[in-house]
This record gives sequence, C-alpha cells and structure tokens, in this order.
Amino acid sequence: MAQDLEWEPRLLGLLCKWCSYAGADLAGTSRKKYPANIRIIKVPCSGRIDPLFILKALHLGFDGVLVSGCHPGDCHYQTGNYRARRRIALTKRFLEGMGIDRRRLQASWVSASEGVKFADVVSQVVKELKEIGPNKLFVGERNSDATEAQAKG
Amino acid sequence: MQQRLRRKARSLLEQGQVDWIIGFEPGSLRFTTTPLITKDKDDTDRLVVGSFIVNNLSNFLIELSGRVAIVAKGCDSRSIVSLIQDNKVNREDIVILGVPCPGIIDLSKVEGLVARDRDEIDDIARQDGVVSVRVGGQQREFPAGQVLFDNCLGCELPTPKEYDILLGEATSPIGEPTASQETLARLKDMPPDERWRFWQQEFGRCIRCYACRNVCPACFCKRCFVEESEPQWLLPMPRWQDNLIFQAIRNIHVAGRCTDCGECERACPVNIPLRSLTRDMYDIVADLFQFKSGMDIAAAPLLTAYEVEEAEDLIR
Repeated sequence: MAQDLEWEPRLLGLLCKWCSYAGADLAGTSRKKYPANIRIIKVPCSGRIDPLFILKALHLGFDGVLVSGCHPGDCHYQTGNYRARRRIALTKRFLEGMGIDRRRLQASWVSASEGVKFADVVSQVVKELKEIGPNKLFVGERNSDATEAQAKG
Repeated sequence: MQQRLRRKARSLLEQGQVDWIIGFEPGSLRFTTTPLITKDKDDTDRLVVGSFIVNNLSNFLIELSGRVAIVAKGCDSRSIVSLIQDNKVNREDIVILGVPCPGIIDLSKVEGLVARDRDEIDDIARQDGVVSVRVGGQQREFPAGQVLFDNCLGCELPTPKEYDILLGEATSPIGEPTASQETLARLKDMPPDERWRFWQQEFGRCIRCYACRNVCPACFCKRCFVEESEPQWLLPMPRWQDNLIFQAIRNIHVAGRCTDCGECERACPVNIPLRSLTRDMYDIVADLFQFKSGMDIAAAPLLTAYEVEEAEDLIR
C-alpha cells in the first residue's frame, strides 16, 4: 500500500533529434518546470521509431510512451514524420484493440522553439498516466525482464 | 478449368515463357492439395484446381528466380499485388494464372457437420451454393456458407483483378458474416483489461513455432526482429508476454500488406484466433487510410506513403 501512495508514473520519451529533443533542451535552458517522470531517448527521426520500441518499453515496465517529432512539413528528412504518423496512428488503434489503454501511447509535434509546449505536453501526459495507474500489463509469472526492471525502479 | 490450366501451363513451359510453374497437385490425404513447384512440363498433368486449393502460394514467388507462372485465387492475387508493390517481385517476371474462386471448403467444418473423419467421407462435391457430402451411402447437402473457410465468407475479391490468363468465369463475393468478425465484435464489447486477459490466455498457448510468420506472404524479412540478438528484443522461449509482443508487432509490421488471407490462423498448431488480429488491423487500415491491401497495383505501399493531412487527431 505504501508503495502505491508513492507511485510515480515512468514515461519514456522517444524524441526526434532535430525538433523535440531540442525543444526539451529549450524547456530546460529556459527553466520551464515539468514533471521529472520522463526518461528521454534521442532518436534520429520520429520515422526511426519502430512500434516494437513502444511495446518493448511497456514490457519493461514503463507506464507510458511519448513519441515526439517535428511538425508536419518540418521534418529534417522531409517525410520521416509523415511516415511515423501513419505508423503511430495504426499502432495506437491496434494496441487499444488488444486491450492497452490508448493513453499509454502518446504522440506530439514539438518544434525546437517550443520549450513551453514540451513542458505542457509532458505535464499533461504524466497527469493522464497518473489517472490510469501503474502499468501491470506484462506482470505475471516468468516475466523476468519486467520484474527486474521494476525492482530497479 | 483444370484441363485448360494444364494445357496452358504446359505450353508456357514448352515455349520457354516461364521457368517455373507454381500450382497445386493432389495431396497424399483425401480432399487435400499440396503445392506443386516444377520446371518439368510433364508434371503439369498433375495440376489441379477446385474446392480444396487452400494455400496461398504467393509466398514461393520470392524464393524462386527466373520467370514464374503461378496459380492464384482472388485472395492470392492480392498477396501477389502486394509483393509487386513492395518490389519483392517484378510484374514482368510473373504470369498470373487467375482462378475465380467461389470459396474453399474447410474440411474440418465438413467433418464436424457429418460427425465423421475425412477418411470415412466418400465424396464432397460442390454445385453453386450447395455442397453435397456422400458419407456411408447417404447423401447430405449443406449450404456453402456452412462449410467454407471463415475468410472465404467475407471475401472481397473472389476473382483476381490482376491476372494474365483468367481460367474461368468471374464469380461474385459470398458476403456472409464471419466468425472472426463476431469474435472481434465480442472483444470490442469487453472492457480493455478483459480483452487483454483474453489475448494473454490465447498467447499462453503459443509455442513460438513461427508457422504463422513462415507461411505469411507479407512476412518476407530476411531477418526477423524476434531473431535479432543485438539487441535481443524478445527471448525465444514461449512466455506469453514475448509471444504476445511478437504477434502484435508482426501484425503492425505487415499492416497494409496483410490481406486477411487466413494462412496464419490455418497454420497455427494451437488454434489461436489470429484472424481476429489481422482482421482488426485490416479494418483499422481501411478506416484510417482508406487503404485495402493488394487491391490496387498502382498504389504505393501503405507505410511508405503519406498524405499531408491525415490522422492528426491522435497527436497533440
């Protein structure tokens, strides 16, 4: 019980190197406050994100995944984010069909100048994750990866 | 139709127009067929078509080099079109021998209806919408909808749209409710965690034989993510968690290529209702992007194309 009271969601951010990662940087340098629940992985482009990363993160015990890239039309590689959008959209719908809460997979467009938006997005996402509670999807016997990761905290 | 196919196949080989023929020959068990892949023109006399040509042979296209003639039902032709879209095969290198298909008979459904094993059934014949089964000297008739494979009931393309030679008269779709859609509707009515438990239980049975992947014409990666070791995404041992992730990601990876042909479900040795997943993805793709796999040979593959404005409501 005590653990439940202290529970803080863990959010994995998969951020595109050109826009959202720089946006997160800007949020930091401009001293914007946002929840420390997010752990960030920098990816070369949102188009690099295989839906496998998302499920693997949930498997490892993350409570949610935030995918973020450049606004449509602003992709450094012209079309990466458009492709990511298709992939994320159908991943989200498909995982929901399997029984995963749609709020566990979030997507946003954050440009390098939108530090404020980044802070807002993270705050909102963390708030939603707190509403749905801990990710217990893959908890069960013989799931050593997840239990190990959860033990480490 | 069968005679025409044999003549055509023979002449294609004789004239050197193709190097290979892919088709069906009678299987070693009754009412079954097995793939026939040959370079020998005399083998073409063994080619068959009919109500038992179950498999989707398009999978073999990517394993053969040279020009290939392939027997294709409507659903198979969609898989072939999908392979062409993905540049896995060249349209010029294949001759599609189109077979209009009114549906394939599911032997296990017949066995269930007559409560007999396939060895005890004397004959199964189809006349339009009626399938008559002769068993123990008795003749019994069933509407085709009761004995066809589930995916045939919801078939959208019984007659190939893309073909070089069409071996019969075009047929129209059957359009009956399918079991996979019923399962899907039942799942949609459940609360999410109950849905999750359903799949958890189903994938608890999975033995990770990868038959679903190996039989799938849309799964053509040389190296599958489940076999990668740096990083090792999934462990090879069959835990439900890894099994479920494998199948979910496999479905996402073949989105826009999966034609819901049903081969994965038929290949599954533990009868996991995989078509309730493939069907869901098929519907999602149609709903979000108005895309139907293998229907339009000129269309770009779903996951490499995009519209400037689409699917924005899912993004902050």
